[in-house]
Amino acid sequence: MSAGLNLLLVASAALFAVGVFGVVARRSAVVMLLGTQFMFMAGALAFVAFARFGLGAQHGRAGATTALFAGAVAVAELAVGLAMAALIYREHRSFALDADRG
Amino acid sequence: MPLIGALPQPITSAPLVFFVYLVLILLIGSALATVLLRNTLYAVGAFAASMVLVALLYLAIAPFLLVALQLLVFTTVSAVLLIGLLRATTGLRTSSVGRLSPEWIIGGAVSAILFALLALVLGASSWPVQPCCAIQESFGGVLANTYAVGLAVLAVIVASAALGSGLMLIGPTRPSPRGGGERSGRR
Repeated sequence: MSAGLNLLLVASAALFAVGVFGVVARRSAVVMLLGTQFMFMAGALAFVAFARFGLGAQHGRAGATTALFAGAVAVAELAVGLAMAALIYREHRSFALDADRG
Repeated sequence: MPLIGALPQPITSAPLVFFVYLVLILLIGSALATVLLRNTLYAVGAFAASMVLVALLYLAIAPFLLVALQLLVFTTVSAVLLIGLLRATTGLRTSSVGRLSPEWIIGGAVSAILFALLALVLGASSWPVQPCCAIQESFGGVLANTYAVGLAVLAVIVASAALGSGLMLIGPTRPSPRGGGERSGRR
């Protein structure tokens, strides 16, 4: 039994699919944002996996560096998104994006 | 222990393999809990757990600096932002959409199809794996030398997010529309 590139890539794909589910199935702006965070997380995990086990290992720390930038962008996106979610809440007293449907 | 720099072979050490499998299972479980839980507070807690689990996974396969940043900066800033949002609003009510609603069925189908597609690509691809070249400079050295501008931009982005989260936290707490909250800030 071993843990290699394929295992981490399958886990990354599963994490991405979970994020897609959160974005598509939920109406709450907060949960949708968390879904996008999981998609960022999946991409970063794939970069780190390739850097550790794949050809990326020949390029030193590029994979981990990209994961670092992806994490920072994800946090910034979360900050902007949550500010928008707060505005939605103040307008509709709900995080549901279709709250104005009545 | 960071393993980057070693030969790009699968991890075969039994305790480390068990650790990686355990963390991956917990990670997928907490991610599912985040998107399935209908209470926003619980979802945020599960998300924070996911961030910590990713940091634990990085501990086995990535440089320690990435582990530290993931754990101390990304997790902390994300959690503070979410807690700040919940304080500024209430956000604790459960979802009005029941399970097995059309949204959940469509979302599950899209997610399953996407995962199947990714698994198909993964299964059909033969990823090239070659012995690693000479070990290059440290992760911090690469960041400081090769990615200096990117690192500066990253620092500004994270500092802005941290500033925003701090401003959200020091703001007044709004009373719950259900009467359950308590105003802690000045009027």
